[in-house]
Amino acid sequence: MRATLWRMAVERRTELLRGVLDLCLLAIMDEVPAYGYEMTKRLRERGLASVGEGSIYPLLGRLERDGLVETYRAASNGGPPRKYFRPSSAGRMALALGVSEWRAARDAVDAVLAPVKVEVAP
Amino acid sequence: MSDFVEQCRREWRRLGVPDPLAEEMAADLTADLAEAETEGVSAEELLGRSAFDPCSFARSWADERGVIPEPPSRGTRRIPLVLVAFTALAAIALVFASLALATGQPTVSVAAVKTTRSHLPSPPPGFFVRPGGGPHSRQVLLHTSASAPVEWILLLLAIIALSFAAWLWFSWGRSRPPSAPA
Repeated sequence: MRATLWRMAVERRTELLRGVLDLCLLAIMDEVPAYGYEMTKRLRERGLASVGEGSIYPLLGRLERDGLVETYRAASNGGPPRKYFRPSSAGRMALALGVSEWRAARDAVDAVLAPVKVEVAP
Repeated sequence: MSDFVEQCRREWRRLGVPDPLAEEMAADLTADLAEAETEGVSAEELLGRSAFDPCSFARSWADERGVIPEPPSRGTRRIPLVLVAFTALAAIALVFASLALATGQPTVSVAAVKTTRSHLPSPPPGFFVRPGGGPHSRQVLLHTSASAPVEWILLLLAIIALSFAAWLWFSWGRSRPPSAPA
């Protein structure tokens, strides 16, 4: 039972993250343009060590296909030239709209869940 | 990890991803994996469960990026009209030859017999008498198709043509690219 509950918690976290990972990536690269692995590192530094069952590459590909990011190649620290990503103007607009939706949804869910007292056994 | 990238390359090639794009993605992935390895980060941390399924990972990446060529739709992949016409002609020839052989029409072998009216026997079954051959003569047309070489030649040619058409259809079907998996 405990293992099942743990698996459900992990799956829920994955599903939640899947819905907002594109916003996280846009936000990360909006601060400073970044290449693939660099974005993974920055997400990890902020507590998103795992991005669910997949990886960020397909998502970056979709953002590129949809014109939400711009790319360019530049030398990295001693390594080969890397493909850097930054939000396009459409990407910045999508980020602003997405963050607004996220906050509204988060507040609504918080309003429902706030009275619940959480007691997790060690 | 080079094996992982190599399997991705193979999958992209199979999916028809243009070589420059496939090489670009392979180079980016190789560089990221190398940097992660240098920093002690495992491939699983970087790629998630995809680290165990390079084909699925490669397909997902290429699909999301929109670099897998679209399979030709029915509208753009038209059946060649020449092939349709050729097959139809061959089929018509086959039907015509079969009917001609089965019914005996049209006949092509003619046997003329001159005789007197008084001694003229009744035509046996399978023969008919055509009028206009004169008072003492009759033209007897052979009614059987067994001696009609034109029909047999036409039938043979029709069968050969239909076989050739079948081979052309088979070749055309095999030349169609496979549809992309979902």
